[in-house]
Amino acid sequence: MIAIRNLSMRLVSGGREVSILDDISLDVPAKQFLAIVGPSGSGKSTLLGLIGGMDTPTSGTISFDGRDITKLSDDELSRLRLQKIGFVFQSFHLIPTLTARENIAVPMELSGDPEVNAKADELLRAVGLESRGHHYPVQLSGGEQQRVAVARAFANRPVILLADEPTGNLDTTTGEQVIELIIRLNRDRGSTLVLVTHDPALAAHADRIVLLRDGRIASDDLRHRGSGAHP
Amino acid sequence: MSAFVFKMVWRETRAAWRHFTYFFVCIALGVAALVGVGLFAANLERAIQREARSLMAADVELRTTRLLTPAAEGVLMKLDGRDIARLQVSELVAMAAAPSGTQLVELKAVEPGYPFYGKLRAVPEDALATLFTGTRALAEETLLIRLDLKVGDTLKIGHVEFTIAGVLKKEPDRAAGAFSFGPRVLISRQGLEATGLVQPGSRVTYRHLLKLPEALSPKAVQGELAATFPDKTVRVSTYQDAQPMLRRFLRQLTMYLGLVGLIALMVGGIGVASSIRAFLREKLENIAVLKGIGAESGTILRVYMSQTLLLGMLGSLAGAALGAAFQFALPPLLKAWLPMELEFRLALLPFVRGVGMGLLTTVLFALWPLLEARDVRPNLILRREVADEPTGSPGLMAWAISGLLALTLAGLALWQAGSWRAAGLFIGALAAALALLNTAAWLVVRLARRVPRWRPLAWRQGLANLYRPGSQAQTVLVSVGVGVMIILAIHLVEQNILWEIGENVPTDAPTFFFIDLQPDQRDAFERLLVERGHTDARLTPLVRSRLWALNGQQVRRESYEDREHGWYFTREYVLTFLNDLPKGNAITRGDWWDGGGSSGLPRVSVEEEAARRLGLDLGSTVEFDIQGAKVSGRIASIRKVDWGNMSTNFYFIFEPGALEGAPMTYVATTRVDPREEVPLQRAVVAAFPNVSAINIRAVLDSVAQVVDRISLVIRFMAALSILAGTVVLAGALAATRFRRIYEAMVFKAMGATRRVLASTFAVEFLLLGAAAGVIGTGLATGLAWGVGHWILDVKWLFQPRALVWGIGVTIAGTVLVGFLSTYRILGQKPLPVLRRE
Repeated sequence: MIAIRNLSMRLVSGGREVSILDDISLDVPAKQFLAIVGPSGSGKSTLLGLIGGMDTPTSGTISFDGRDITKLSDDELSRLRLQKIGFVFQSFHLIPTLTARENIAVPMELSGDPEVNAKADELLRAVGLESRGHHYPVQLSGGEQQRVAVARAFANRPVILLADEPTGNLDTTTGEQVIELIIRLNRDRGSTLVLVTHDPALAAHADRIVLLRDGRIASDDLRHRGSGAHP
Repeated sequence: MSAFVFKMVWRETRAAWRHFTYFFVCIALGVAALVGVGLFAANLERAIQREARSLMAADVELRTTRLLTPAAEGVLMKLDGRDIARLQVSELVAMAAAPSGTQLVELKAVEPGYPFYGKLRAVPEDALATLFTGTRALAEETLLIRLDLKVGDTLKIGHVEFTIAGVLKKEPDRAAGAFSFGPRVLISRQGLEATGLVQPGSRVTYRHLLKLPEALSPKAVQGELAATFPDKTVRVSTYQDAQPMLRRFLRQLTMYLGLVGLIALMVGGIGVASSIRAFLREKLENIAVLKGIGAESGTILRVYMSQTLLLGMLGSLAGAALGAAFQFALPPLLKAWLPMELEFRLALLPFVRGVGMGLLTTVLFALWPLLEARDVRPNLILRREVADEPTGSPGLMAWAISGLLALTLAGLALWQAGSWRAAGLFIGALAAALALLNTAAWLVVRLARRVPRWRPLAWRQGLANLYRPGSQAQTVLVSVGVGVMIILAIHLVEQNILWEIGENVPTDAPTFFFIDLQPDQRDAFERLLVERGHTDARLTPLVRSRLWALNGQQVRRESYEDREHGWYFTREYVLTFLNDLPKGNAITRGDWWDGGGSSGLPRVSVEEEAARRLGLDLGSTVEFDIQGAKVSGRIASIRKVDWGNMSTNFYFIFEPGALEGAPMTYVATTRVDPREEVPLQRAVVAAFPNVSAINIRAVLDSVAQVVDRISLVIRFMAALSILAGTVVLAGALAATRFRRIYEAMVFKAMGATRRVLASTFAVEFLLLGAAAGVIGTGLATGLAWGVGHWILDVKWLFQPRALVWGIGVTIAGTVLVGFLSTYRILGQKPLPVLRRE
């Protein structure tokens, strides 16, 4: 479903070129739960962002169902994310001027979903925040904010969910609740989940664990659990 | 300043110089406006001082509207023995006729020796000398063009055919002022006498010019003449008071320009406040870290205050340099009114004052944000999600310091303006307008919060951007609103004046005035008009006089000359006597005479404003001096006059018979079809060479041109406020740039296209522009109405089209500047931005 070939990302920093990702090739079949792990600076988040079309690689290709997204224009990438990809970030990235419910509604509004109100309420219920919908992000705890972000990520029923250290800013208990929520929703909706984490306990939930080190794949461990399937 | 503060100032400025571009430009524009006008005024004053003798063409001038009495002539003759040279200059309007047509001209007759000072420029250069040999004239080029003449052709004025000896380029003492009746024609005094134009009651100004030997002081001679001259209606002045109208006009113009410049500085101040606030918001963490490692609040305040002062100083100096450059732009705009060349000189005073005002403005507007930042708590570093705005009141001290700064600034502004009253009014109005704008902006932001949060997304998000914490909406609304207000108010006032003098003329108003008709020409003139089908013509007798006594108390003109409304006492009054109350006049008190005689003094009707200024009431007596003869009357009624009726209007009207025997002329007014204008004018000039035809439309056009030019000059200064407002807008948008990028990238991560992002920004700028436009045009309307009602006394014309334009252009401008400041955000990639956060 996702096919990554010879992907490299280099940035110029302080006048010299720094390699972030170096010749990564990876296939992620549909409905797999993939965890990308590695020490900080290994390029995990960059890889996730590139899969989501949030930046352009220096070289290599990323294909969704055979369509190379590295050749897409900015707006085509936006539409791709809108229709197929959900994101959960470490620092939540909610819009501060919108209420929880409005934040969840944004992707559906962007895609012109007529049932946005009902679906937003349903999503709020699904993440256990039905009574907090009219609160602004600053009025919510970190865990609540991340649950809103999760609900927002699932709003348009994405086929791929990308989560970047979703529990990184949360305490252990809250983090556990959030990751369970992500996994449950992911199972219920049958989407592919790519999770970036440096927490082995979180990675343990995954079907497959890819270890990055210095921008390269150091190991690729398929664990055959759940519904995922290795090619 | 401690070494630490000094180092920190350097480090912070080095790291954030981009941030201060807007701050810098804001202050520079305001100071440029003030220094530009200040230098211009100083150069103007110097030029006037330098050229003062040329502006009068003499050391001392005696000015009168009547021929001197033998006794007065005697006093003048006695001067000849004291080595004082003198000559006479006569000025009047007259008709000039050529084969191709006729033209009203400003005729000036001079004697050999003219001008005593300054240089008359003509082509050929020696043309002036030839005036005194035979009947020759110098004419301005416009006359030659209008009548299709060239040097060597003849021009008929009165009964005389003058040969055009040359083209008049510049005369040193031409009263450059509001407008002129027509091009200048220069002839000799003998030539004027031969024309037969000067008749009893003719409107002639005589100027007796004196050139004194070095040893005599003009002031002393002026004092001596004022005391000994038998004719008290003669105005004696020295070259130091030359062209009082021009000097007053230029002084007022530069004063208003300076005040308009002050607006640019105030708008700049708003920009400073918003720049500093935005800068400090980004520095909150730094401040918290500095505090965490032990820096005291005072030290931190000193760091940022020093930095602010440094930048304020640099901006002010740059502005002063720009202001100096305006010396190349302003004189050409004002050229029409400047009878002399301005030289480019840098005066120290306007510089120091401008830079001082720039610094004061900087401190005044930066003080509050700086004091607020002082209260940042160090635990901020541990708890990132802090509210955008620091809380806590800056305290009593801040109020006291701000008050003091504001007062000092106002004092400097008043000093620059030179008129306490006008400047005080202006500053008061500006402060009130700013307060109103601020309140209106606050209301708009509050209102935006209450608007239902409808979809679509772009609308909701654009609207929310107006009231979110850290929003610059209020700053933008005030600074853009001020610019809109001032530019539009100038336009509205100008349009009102033009409408008043142009279209607001009653449709039955006369279009032609024929002046200087002699009593013995009256019947023949009326016949000529009737023959040509002008049965509506009205002939009104005119008697030229000066006020001699009020209620038996003789009017001493010297005591009123410097008063603001002193001219009510010193001016020449044109009197008339009429049977019926003229059109456009209404009796407010007393009664009009309806036939019947009166016992005692003749009855007089006075205009209400004149009555108020002169302190006249029903039953008061007035005495006029008519060419030496005294005529008294008793006030029988007070009238309100509609001065815009474009007819002959009078301050004083006598009952018929009262002015019998006084030297008088007639003025004829009539409506003339445009096609009939030229033939009628020709027929009149042919039959009555001494009669001048004044085409009202031509006069109004000339006034309109003057209004247009004045408003152009003022607009030039006001444009600086608009520019400053634009910079504040761009600066405010730059201040919210990081927040915008971040949110835009979150939206993008969720799948928003550039179009959606662009529409969000568009909604925000559209709303901002619309609100600023509505507030600005609203206040402009109020301001223009106030100026029209209280200062210019013109009728109010509601101009919805100008208002719609004002709002439309503001929206377009705001959206454009907003777009230019944000379009680069649209193309950013989400990943790098979101990872930074």
